[in-house]
Amino acid sequence: MKNVELLVIGGGPAGLCAAISAAEAGVDVLLAERDEWLGGQLVKQTHMFFGSEKQQASVRGVDIGKILVKKVEDYKNIEVMENATVLGLYEDGVVTLQQDGNYVKVHPKSVVITTGASEKTLVFPNNDLPGVYGAGAVQTLMNVYGVKPGNKVLMVGAGNIGLIVSYQLMQAGVEVEAIVDASPNIGGYLVHASKIRRMGIPILTRHTVKEAIGKEALEAAVIWELDDKWQPIPGSEKKLDVDVMCISVGLTPLSELLWQIGCRMEFVGELGGFVPIRNDKLQTSLDGIFVAGDVAGVEEASSAMVEGSLAGLSASSYLGYKIDVEKELERDYLNQLSDLRSGPVGEKIRQGLAKALISQEVTNPGQGS
Amino acid sequence: MVKTAEVVIIGGGISGCAIAYNLAKKGVKDVVLIEKGYLASGATGSCGAGIRQQWGTEMNCKIAKMSCDFFETANEELQYDGDIEFKQGGYLLLASTEKEHEQFKKNVQLQNSLGIHSRMLNLEQAKEIVPHLNTEGLVSTAFYEKDGHLNPFHATEAYGRAAERLGAKIYKYTEVTDIVVENGKVKKVKTDKGDIETKIVVNAAGGHSQIIANMAGVDIPVYSERHQILVTEPLEPLLGPMLMSFSLNIYCQQVPHGGFIMGRGDDTEPRDLRVTSSWQFLDEMVKTATGILPPLKKARLLRQWAGLYNMTPDRQPIYGPVDDVEGFYLAVGFSGHGFMFGPATGLLIAESILGEEPTINIDRLNLRRFESGDLILEPSVV
Amino acid sequence: MRIEEHPVLEFKRGKKVYFTYDGEKLEGYEGETIAAALHAAGVKVLSHSDRNRPRGFYCAIGNCSSCFMEVNGVSNVKVCIEPLREDMDVKTQKGKGKIV
Repeated sequence: MKNVELLVIGGGPAGLCAAISAAEAGVDVLLAERDEWLGGQLVKQTHMFFGSEKQQASVRGVDIGKILVKKVEDYKNIEVMENATVLGLYEDGVVTLQQDGNYVKVHPKSVVITTGASEKTLVFPNNDLPGVYGAGAVQTLMNVYGVKPGNKVLMVGAGNIGLIVSYQLMQAGVEVEAIVDASPNIGGYLVHASKIRRMGIPILTRHTVKEAIGKEALEAAVIWELDDKWQPIPGSEKKLDVDVMCISVGLTPLSELLWQIGCRMEFVGELGGFVPIRNDKLQTSLDGIFVAGDVAGVEEASSAMVEGSLAGLSASSYLGYKIDVEKELERDYLNQLSDLRSGPVGEKIRQGLAKALISQEVTNPGQGS
Repeated sequence: MVKTAEVVIIGGGISGCAIAYNLAKKGVKDVVLIEKGYLASGATGSCGAGIRQQWGTEMNCKIAKMSCDFFETANEELQYDGDIEFKQGGYLLLASTEKEHEQFKKNVQLQNSLGIHSRMLNLEQAKEIVPHLNTEGLVSTAFYEKDGHLNPFHATEAYGRAAERLGAKIYKYTEVTDIVVENGKVKKVKTDKGDIETKIVVNAAGGHSQIIANMAGVDIPVYSERHQILVTEPLEPLLGPMLMSFSLNIYCQQVPHGGFIMGRGDDTEPRDLRVTSSWQFLDEMVKTATGILPPLKKARLLRQWAGLYNMTPDRQPIYGPVDDVEGFYLAVGFSGHGFMFGPATGLLIAESILGEEPTINIDRLNLRRFESGDLILEPSVV
Repeated sequence: MRIEEHPVLEFKRGKKVYFTYDGEKLEGYEGETIAAALHAAGVKVLSHSDRNRPRGFYCAIGNCSSCFMEVNGVSNVKVCIEPLREDMDVKTQKGKGKIV
């Protein structure tokens, strides 16, 4: 059994920032990542990020990942375990992992859980046909491995991911037949939508998938229009000859470890599903267990990074480390989060967080805007 | 929420739902069931859901047989549009010592006399049924092909829906906060969603039965103990029967979905209503399970969880009315076999409440046995 | 199906490796997953479920368990995250996994 001060679970944007922030405070950190490399889903983000300079705006996600990984590698007090899947978090504080086929136990004094999220799916006949892929899967295939998902794509979902992946598909030389979204409005940023429209891809709002057609793999998709009550209009069916359907209908937190250890959970639709109840310092209902990033509520990578830094700081403080500028840092992180969640775009997130925060301790200025 | 009821049942596990169904079927109009979470959210949904008739006492054999017979036709009987997934692959009980072997022989004799056609099998015969069984260290086995396993969620849902069709009302996500008793008689059940006046309350609260009994001012000699389980990834069929060993302290079964579910008892487990899991259980269970079924070494684990056994001093349920509080009935203390006794519990408690001639005499299982000291000792439990 | 030219990205592929897929010799690159190499070779169907429905990957990052194949005799391998190695024996999985 290995004793560690702080275990960070997940080497994505939130986990990397949590490890850096805690290491900066002097904490000995063990960072466990199930993949063979660090960076999480940043590796496939070829677009430039929004936000402000502090969250590396105008830098491509994949490059932000590289910068963070480099920082982690530079800290002598961060030990990285790659290819290490956390299996369980137990009541006596022991955490079990599997690394390269070996069963390992560690005993951390504090844990930051940054396990991210997984892609949701959509229910329609034959949605299990090969060729019906999550948008993130398509992104991984083409941006990480340089492999085309197919020749003609129907994108389902006009949120930011749907729009960005459509653009990236065109960049990779794949045709995007159309983007459909059941909602009457385009969910993603206008700037992305305009770019897509300029490329000649139709964005069909109030449309959804009726069924997928194919024997061994996807051969065509049938879409139809929805009325004001979200009901399909018979006779409005259109058949599209596509070999890939890209499902971009959001993500849901990967919260199994939180359930297992017994964190208080609440279903918050705005945040993608069940999320841990937490205080403004990102501590869950359990002492010494912190969360950051999509597992705490599905948002953007930018806010995941800031949350990671905040959770790392909170864990350091919990472990008894005196940090000279703790209050300043904390205020700075909270302000950054508040900025990222401001305006109409952040409204849903703000509503969701209001339900996930322990109310008496709400001091996050982001909640009021 | 209704304001009055003829009977209020507390607990939406298999017992509570089966009692509600049987009462409604017998014509009781206002049956209300209160469940704190969703149906089967407690011990029922977390149990191993084995169905066994190979018991060591006459009472248990009878109750188990009656329940198993019901499960065989439950889909039709309860007009369930799903499937309770009753797989009758048998139970293969493993004897590791001469003493166990002798006990099994005695049990088989008793079982046979009660219409349960179990039989002793030597190790070669056992291997015909479970080719991958490691027989090292085993003496003999006992087998009954009509034992098996089913899906506890579907079984409870089947009972619940059938009860509702017959007019019973089920309130989920509703918590009982108090039971009002006046002049030694049940008056009212208070919940976080409103109060219900009633003359009859059934405590079928599983792991929480002690708390509910205390609300009525009754002390019952039970405690709840955590029991843990784990399940592997779904795999192609490999194991027909439930494997069970009392000395190795394990039960292990491959369910129709393909996963291997296994668990055990442990006297050192916490008794504080905790249902968290421990890595110690996982480590030990894996050793035992791969010992008796070596191919399992290649299986991946999917999940582990825990549930509560509501234990009595003689490991037997407490059935029937409480002498001190008129109208207060118990269906508690199942000590780990409440699920497989569910159908019998439903019928026998309904008969008891309505004062009907009992299908099986359950007087010996009344709460008063702990005062008189007339305990029933079951030799064959995990 | 490989992207040869990209306006933003440059794909630095690892060493070329050979593997078998249902007995057929295919090539891929070190550093990519089995699923990526198969997809590049035009293989989308990775298994047939126990109800005999074709299955491909869905999430491609190891979350959804839709991409199970038999690799070097081991069932239920998530090929969307399993790194490709020289001489791997990859087979379409039929039904649930096997341990004997």
